[in-house]
Amino acid sequence: MLVLTFAATGRGNCVEVDGTPYVYVRTASGSFVMRADCPHRGGPLHLAAEGPEGKSLICPWHERRTATVRMRQRIPAVRTGRTVRAVLPHPPQAEVSHQHRPLSPALAC
Amino acid sequence: MSHAPNAYVPFELHGQELRDAVVRYASNPIYLDNEEWQNNDNPYRRQLRPQVLPHLDYDAVPGREDILDYSSLAVQRVLTSVYEADLVFLPKSGLKDRKWEDFQQFYSPSNRALGEAIRPALEKYAFGFLDDEVEISGKWTKESFHAYIESLGADDPAEASLTEKAILSSTDRERAARMWLIQFAPDFLSEASPMIRNVLGHYGATQSEWFKIIIDEYGYGVHDTKHSRLFERTLESAGLASDIHRYWQYYLNSSLLMNNYFHYLGKNHELFFRYVGALYYTEATLVDFCRRAASVLTSVFGDKADVEYFTEHVHIDQHHGRMALEKLIDPLIEEHGEHIIPEIVRGIEEYRVIQAVSDDDFATQIAWMDKGPEFKKLHAPVWAAIESGKVTAPVADIVEPYGELSNTHCHDGDELCHIVSGTMKFVSGFDSHQILEAGEGTVIQKNRLHGAIIESEECVYQIHSVGDYKKCLS
Repeated sequence: MLVLTFAATGRGNCVEVDGTPYVYVRTASGSFVMRADCPHRGGPLHLAAEGPEGKSLICPWHERRTATVRMRQRIPAVRTGRTVRAVLPHPPQAEVSHQHRPLSPALAC
Repeated sequence: MSHAPNAYVPFELHGQELRDAVVRYASNPIYLDNEEWQNNDNPYRRQLRPQVLPHLDYDAVPGREDILDYSSLAVQRVLTSVYEADLVFLPKSGLKDRKWEDFQQFYSPSNRALGEAIRPALEKYAFGFLDDEVEISGKWTKESFHAYIESLGADDPAEASLTEKAILSSTDRERAARMWLIQFAPDFLSEASPMIRNVLGHYGATQSEWFKIIIDEYGYGVHDTKHSRLFERTLESAGLASDIHRYWQYYLNSSLLMNNYFHYLGKNHELFFRYVGALYYTEATLVDFCRRAASVLTSVFGDKADVEYFTEHVHIDQHHGRMALEKLIDPLIEEHGEHIIPEIVRGIEEYRVIQAVSDDDFATQIAWMDKGPEFKKLHAPVWAAIESGKVTAPVADIVEPYGELSNTHCHDGDELCHIVSGTMKFVSGFDSHQILEAGEGTVIQKNRLHGAIIESEECVYQIHSVGDYKKCLS
């Protein structure tokens, strides 16, 4: 497992590990760390719209829905102030870079 | 005949009812203002400034940016008193004269009942900011928790804190170090008392493991090795008295916040697992902290500093950090499930937030004390801006007689104190003051602890609430 810290918002709000991007999002039903790419074809899930009753995120590429209940569980994380510390499913020697990814209004409540 | 049960109505105080209850609690004679800067071997006297309490709003929970405002200081002082009604304090010189009456007042059913009634609402006010500051998400497992713990590097040597830098670079290092030791007094003189709240009851082998930590803290029943006794000697070696709450008026808001946090977790057993997390992180980081504290005190006071309190912790907390993790946390997760982990993580992170607030608050207070002469000089340009009409600010005109002591407090914005006539001794911390004569004054920095005593037959002065004094200079 790999534990990384990154910004909850703004510059450096995305950490990319071995090519997989993660962001911290705040939805109407709670905050969590999630993969920023869609499991379908790698679309920009950080720009997703919210599905009915906030139960899913809709990828802007192919409108594939991902249930938020599962996403919320996936990455153990703690936000303290403006910093997030997340335990990611990658080996300690993984390649890491910090970037910025804009978030859709549904993910930046 | 109906047997329908009464609807359960949870207890809750707010608004005017809460305000009235706070004022009623704090109007107890033992909580009135003091005529001296220090309490004299009387652990029951705590200056709560009840005259100000009717004007505060206890419902609007402050965020982190406002956590050092006066309302928070007032609430932390009240909570310290409420929590400590569970502890036994006796004056060193005996329960003579007024102290016997004060003892009975402090431990009276009325004081305890009134305190308990306001405690939940004041805890929400005092610690509510942590709900915004710390947020846990995701499904935690033993493996992810251990990866997280390792990432904290709690055992690793840390960089010098703002506090250490402030003391070592202070214009008066001994004064700064004494102010620092005073901040520890509420915690270290009743050391481990909040923790003991967690070993009452009956909950299995982990209870006995926690008790072992307490045995160490209590010096195995040998009074001279009890940690609070070690700290008494540290205070005395630095030229300070060691009676309980002698320096009540010099406690910073964040020092009380830190101490009260552990009482809050210990008093409310629904937060038991948070306490376990905070315990681990405290014990693990104390090793390095105490090593550095001993070094700072020796650097400031030389060999006369009795630092055994700190060197003892350098040793024993290596065990306590490990014990907290391996003997408490791991077995508790095993017994009760991984769903308790977010609470443990939350305790760790909340403590880290409070530690950061406290470090910054203390360093800023030392800078405020050191720069007393500069803030006094700033009176001239700020007063000129007010006098010329360039700046208009709410003003309070005050007349006080000789010996009137404004017990320590702080303001939510910068203020200008302007002396119209007479003499004021303006106090900005322990052993730190400026004498202000007619036509003089001082800028009072936002959130900085201060008080004053009148040294002339009468003193007429004004307090101008300028908000941000720098805006008066441009």
